[in-house]
Amino acid sequence: MTADAPSTSANPPGFGQGLLAALPIVLGYLPIAFSFGVAAVQAGLTPVEAVALSLIVYAGASQFLALALLSSGAPVLLAAATLIAMNLRHALYGPALLRAAGETARTTRAWAWGAGLTDEVFAAALGQVSQSGRFSERWMGGLALGAYAAWVGGTAAGAAAGGGALAAFPVVEAALGFMLPALFLSLLLSILSRAAIPAVLVAVAATLAGLLLWSATAGILAGMILGALTGVLRR
Amino acid sequence: MSPEVLTLALLGGAANYAFRVLPMRLPLFRGPPEGGSGRFLAATGPAAIATLVVASFLPMLPPVLGEAMPLAAGTAAVLGLWAWRRSVVLATLGGPLVYGLTLAALA
Repeated sequence: MTADAPSTSANPPGFGQGLLAALPIVLGYLPIAFSFGVAAVQAGLTPVEAVALSLIVYAGASQFLALALLSSGAPVLLAAATLIAMNLRHALYGPALLRAAGETARTTRAWAWGAGLTDEVFAAALGQVSQSGRFSERWMGGLALGAYAAWVGGTAAGAAAGGGALAAFPVVEAALGFMLPALFLSLLLSILSRAAIPAVLVAVAATLAGLLLWSATAGILAGMILGALTGVLRR
Repeated sequence: MSPEVLTLALLGGAANYAFRVLPMRLPLFRGPPEGGSGRFLAATGPAAIATLVVASFLPMLPPVLGEAMPLAAGTAAVLGLWAWRRSVVLATLGGPLVYGLTLAALA
């Protein structure tokens, strides 16, 4: 059995196991959050403002977008609307995860762990549920908190370090940049089944079309929605 | 803290929280698995993760095909390690390690 294999015992996985399962996400988040902290200070935000954005918004790509909009002088309501539109996809994650959890699904503490349901946390949780057939709110709490702490901590470190901190280690920086693609690919492999292949193929095609013809946000939304609709059409 | 940054953070944060938490209060996931919403949600996970794979890989493609060796080696490492150990942690850590080593060897 591998180190991160899901628990198949009678006891549901606990908080500590969730924290441990967050390790790949932590390693992926740290360099990106660090970069965000550096970019925020370079864009004129104070370190406190940079950390506040990560603490309150907690959504990677849209935080970078918010920086770009703020520094370009865009009205704050327009910047907020753009940021909100980018994260609309998150509305699908909770119900999809609970559906996969079946009878083990619980939402008593969803007000807490649900706040940390980012792309990476959702994908990792779905992998765990798909492999073990078990869902645990404590495990979710550990997973979500580990990822959140890495994001906020990385931002604080980047804001404190300032510009050029990673420039001295270009190979390390580039390798860390491959962490999230590697994580997503691993998670896709962990949940891949014959039944999922049509949804995956349609999602890939729609994402490519949307990204190449329109924008990253359009590609991501198109991939997720058209891929999921494939499941409805499947007999 | 400037009012602009605070307003943006609060609006964006409140919307994110609502998107992530409120849909779980709806009875969407409690219907029969063979129903329309059940099949939609069951396909959402694989579709979402496949989408994120594409969206994260595409920006890493170099403009010149000959410079894609680190990406190819890193991807092969992820696939190989997954096939060998069925471990998400090992594949996620091993892929970037091979990516970095290949990049350093070519530099």
